[in-house]
Amino acid sequence: MIASVRRRRQVWAVWRAVGILAFACLILAPLGYMVVVSLTPDSQVGGGAIFPTHVAWGNYVRMWGTINLARDIGNSLLISASTGVMATLVAMGAAYVTARFRFPGRRFFLLSLATFQTIPGVMLLLPLFAIIVVLQTALRVTLIGTYFTVIMTYLTFALPFASWLLVSYLAAIPVELEEAALVDGAGRLQVVRHIVLPLAVPGMVVTFVFSFLLAWGDVLFASVLTNQSTRTLAVGLQAYVSAGETGGDVYWGQLMAASLASGLPIVVIFLLLQRYIIGGLTGGALKG
Amino acid sequence: MRSSPSSTQLVSRSTAKGRRERRRAARRRIPWWMMVPAVFLLAVLVVAPFGVSIYTSFTELNQYTLTDWLHAPWVGLANYVTALTQGNALGASALQSVGVSVAFSVLTTAIITPIGIVAALLVNKPFRGRAIVRALFLLPYVIPVFVNAIAWRLLFMNGWGLVDQVLAALHLASKNTYWLIGPNSFWAMVIADVWASWPFIYLMTLAGLQGISQELYESADMDGAGVFRSLFSITFPMLKPVLGLAVLLSTLNHFNNFTLPYIMFGTPPPPQADVLPLNVYVTSFQTFNFGLGAAMSLITLVLMMIPAVLYIRSLRLGEDMT
Repeated sequence: MIASVRRRRQVWAVWRAVGILAFACLILAPLGYMVVVSLTPDSQVGGGAIFPTHVAWGNYVRMWGTINLARDIGNSLLISASTGVMATLVAMGAAYVTARFRFPGRRFFLLSLATFQTIPGVMLLLPLFAIIVVLQTALRVTLIGTYFTVIMTYLTFALPFASWLLVSYLAAIPVELEEAALVDGAGRLQVVRHIVLPLAVPGMVVTFVFSFLLAWGDVLFASVLTNQSTRTLAVGLQAYVSAGETGGDVYWGQLMAASLASGLPIVVIFLLLQRYIIGGLTGGALKG
Repeated sequence: MRSSPSSTQLVSRSTAKGRRERRRAARRRIPWWMMVPAVFLLAVLVVAPFGVSIYTSFTELNQYTLTDWLHAPWVGLANYVTALTQGNALGASALQSVGVSVAFSVLTTAIITPIGIVAALLVNKPFRGRAIVRALFLLPYVIPVFVNAIAWRLLFMNGWGLVDQVLAALHLASKNTYWLIGPNSFWAMVIADVWASWPFIYLMTLAGLQGISQELYESADMDGAGVFRSLFSITFPMLKPVLGLAVLLSTLNHFNNFTLPYIMFGTPPPPQADVLPLNVYVTSFQTFNFGLGAAMSLITLVLMMIPAVLYIRSLRLGEDMT
């Protein structure tokens, strides 16, 4: 009996190893190819040879000059971080009220948050663009191409999502501490600042990270609402690709180097915060 | 708005009872001001544009009328008719795009579901090195979509891309398969998406597996049930609710897919890969037919309401979110 159980375990271990190996190959092959191409001289990329004759580390140097990569990364960081902070702070207030109180319209508010997350971005971009154009002419200010406009429009998807995450996070924090403080005569603001906020920090960090990543990954809004000097990394990298569409050369080596360099920090953030973030991923984080 | 019962004001402030009453009232008082910024921003950024979108879908809004869109000519349902019959000058009609989008979201979900389940079952039980494998399995999902799209554009390059080279070496297909134009572009998009999105199902399944009591398996083992019997009689039935939600969410997400085809194919995309959001984008921001774009996006929304309503109903709002 015991022997048969052990045998069964061994068979399973073999199957598991085979399965994991197959997955690993399929996951790593495209990434490995990206690494290889990022080290291939431009002249050899289209030649058909999978491995270059010599390693072109230069791609990792020249990528900073072909497009203004540093500025694009800076723009992406600024816009994504601002979106994350705004979404988290604004959502925090609404989430606290929704998680702690019963009021007429509460269900409607939650329903709206869920519904807003399913609205396609392009559906909101179009009227937002029309509204922004009108505001521009009416107020005689420049709005398209400014950081402010991009950050505000990113709130269209970051805010419902952030509120949703925080409502479920705050609802899971026990209410007793707050009630005790209220009984002792603390005001609502004091309670929020001294009791709720410290307890909510992990949830707020996750919310910030997710809003940041949503903004970081956006191409749709950025491609319409940014200009040459405010464009984000995603739009900048796309400039490499579209060079080929207009008949120019695509510097695949540099492009892959830049893609890897820009994907790496995100991957590291994810892997470091894995434990906290997985809850958000399965809790309805929408990738678009 | 502030619900302080009038009775508390009648009680003398100096009595202990009165103080207690007032505090209880303060506890019940809802701090509405905390909600105002979010509600205001959502109204301005989501609800108002939504209304504008509905309005403009009935007008002939283009680059000439854009700055004065409130006075754009009213054309009734003409945009909807155009959307369903011819579409914009560059790409597929909205009706064709509906087909592409539905096929894409249903097909990718159908493909990634078994892949994700298998992956979750592989790493569910502890073994040495499991943490590394789990991190590896997350990798495709955490790479930004635009990076993924650029990578697959490279992989599918005609003649010298890795996919064509491998297929040619295995004598499975010609080196000139043309993945990025023509009918194959749909499959290129599906493959690139499957590579990146299966970990979603994997994560959901893992979460579901953790909820299954080990005792169920032990008693099944005692009763002499084999591995497969346990899998089909315990694991799958217990996973059903989680998987239902996962499939719904996946279908929704894939219907919203814009970034992948936009970067993989550029604009205008091949008609076979012209998903609805991309079609709306090209119609609005490249041929500047905003009215038509709005009509097409509303058609998108109506279609998405089918999985969305199912999803929102499954959340059971107000019951588990207390």
